[in-house]
Amino acid sequence: MPYPDRETFQSFLDDLLGMRFDYLEIGIPTEKPYYDGPVIRRTHRKAMEGFSFQYLKEVVNISVSRGKKNYALVYYNHFHESVDEFLDNIRDSGLDGAIVPDLLTDYYDEREYLSEQFRKRKISLIPFFTSSTPDRVIIEMLDLTDGWIYHGLQPSTGIRVPVSIDKMVARIRSLCGNREIIFGFGINSAETISDLKRYGADGIAVGSSLVPYIESNDHKGFSSEVRMLQGGVYD
Amino acid sequence: MYSEQNVDIIPEKWYNIVPDLPEPLPPPRDHDPENSSIDLLNRILPKEVLRQEFTSSRYEQIPQEVIEQYMQIGRPTPLIRAKNLEKFLKFNGKIFFKYEGATVTGSHKINTALPQAYYAANEGVQEVVTETGAGQWGTATALAATLNGIKSTVFMVKVSYEQKPLRKKIMNLYGAQVYASPSNMTDFGKKILAKDPDHPGTLGIAISEAVQYSLDHDMRYLLGSVENCVITHQTVIGQETVKQLETIGEKADTLIGCVGGGSNFSGFTFPFIKTDAEMIATAASEVPKFSRGKYAYDMIDTAGILPELKMFSLGADFVPKSIYAGGLRYHGAAPALSLLIRKGRIKTDEVGESQSLEAFKIFSKTQGIVPAPESSHAIATAINYCRNPANQGKTVVINVSGHGLLDLSFVRD
Repeated sequence: MPYPDRETFQSFLDDLLGMRFDYLEIGIPTEKPYYDGPVIRRTHRKAMEGFSFQYLKEVVNISVSRGKKNYALVYYNHFHESVDEFLDNIRDSGLDGAIVPDLLTDYYDEREYLSEQFRKRKISLIPFFTSSTPDRVIIEMLDLTDGWIYHGLQPSTGIRVPVSIDKMVARIRSLCGNREIIFGFGINSAETISDLKRYGADGIAVGSSLVPYIESNDHKGFSSEVRMLQGGVYD
Repeated sequence: MYSEQNVDIIPEKWYNIVPDLPEPLPPPRDHDPENSSIDLLNRILPKEVLRQEFTSSRYEQIPQEVIEQYMQIGRPTPLIRAKNLEKFLKFNGKIFFKYEGATVTGSHKINTALPQAYYAANEGVQEVVTETGAGQWGTATALAATLNGIKSTVFMVKVSYEQKPLRKKIMNLYGAQVYASPSNMTDFGKKILAKDPDHPGTLGIAISEAVQYSLDHDMRYLLGSVENCVITHQTVIGQETVKQLETIGEKADTLIGCVGGGSNFSGFTFPFIKTDAEMIATAASEVPKFSRGKYAYDMIDTAGILPELKMFSLGADFVPKSIYAGGLRYHGAAPALSLLIRKGRIKTDEVGESQSLEAFKIFSKTQGIVPAPESSHAIATAINYCRNPANQGKTVVINVSGHGLLDLSFVRD
């Protein structure tokens, strides 16, 4: 956020806030979004121009007033040199927590430190796992965090390689017990969503598939895409 | 070589180490920010191969057809106690070697070529394409394709193409079309030839050409090493070794293998990862990826078409001295292997050509098996290891990844 500019972003946010969902994931733009596909990568570059913490706070306030919980998606490579200042800003923006997709792969040795920094500020570090996260790392991260779990369906956002959804969900469920598991990365069809749900996912996160509607300022298409995807969730 | 009574030693499942690694495996990254090279894999690889590349499952069922093909090409391969070598070295422990040279193509490469060609044929693919350095991988691909009823094209690193005409003949015999790389068959090859018509070629260039050719002709590309799914397939080596050692009541103290891209070593050792066995990976001194390489994201292929991987690497444009062991010339090493080396679980060694030639001669003379020049590097490490008094009494297992019968020009009279 804000992509492509504050005005357009806010008009689509208004559309979205009128619809049914629980958590709003707000991307903090950065220069090196390694685990995003080409679509989200291009939004990062543009959104950096319009981003400020003051503006983030305004957006979160609006969303909170509509009853949503709010989480940042932010790369550790963006703030690992200014953890205190950055997390203070996250907390002061009114966010409930953050997903840090490169923590375990690129900054593994800092996982305990970072989870402590979140805990101190009473914000949630949302553990981010993929099919490449080893079992013992998952078990350890569950101990270091509370709240829900974000699981990447695909190796990066907005792309689709073949996956066995049943085995993937069964594996993460067997490790996470009753913790809420939300799947994201590369989800763009009601069929995938209903498969995820059938095998035991608690929720899904979408992003890349909505970007083209924002880029063409197509509010109608945007709403119908969200409803189409919700068909898989709430059928 | 083919023994019906031993077929239950062939495992029913391949083992994927990723869920058991000490830290998350760094995921592949796009080289070009404007495009997704991960997405491009959908157009390059058979679907099932791609699914296995990113799976979270610890085990993958081996299709019954592939198990039957494994039996046809000589699996299970023998585990042999090298008593003559023990005597020669005055070693009072035990030396075993797992002999992958006993497969019909003469190396471990067939273990992954078969399933990849099987999946490609199953998905209706008519032709597969790949690269080869020393020739073993190309030979394996050519046979796997023909056994699964499809065609194959192989880009062979030019220096090997010229040094090893017999390899090309075998590939042709199996029905493969073979080109020396850099070639005029792809834009990338042409670009390199324009700059240097006598370029000896590298594996990185040959991979680039094969991938480009598969995209240009809507074929599927077979992966020879480095990628996870290849290592997963290669775990038939280590799983058989585990069962064979159990059968004779032995326990491995030390496992030694050579590393080009890392697939024979990883396939051999990963099934032992939960034991306390010491593991030593040997690279060629002329390709010092462990001592001089950087552990960082780098390109798999010189053209940067495939995603980048985090691994020990000398750089994708690294052109090694032209050593005989073509299979060890690759600039990088598989990410899972690199991670385990980085964490200290796997140790490394680097052996030069003269030392490996010495090991080649000792092994030929004592055991009668002419090892591949690549495998001779692992044997050299094992010989040094067994000569160290501190290691007396240990049980050492070497993976002899291939035979060297087509590499005898390695030995100067």
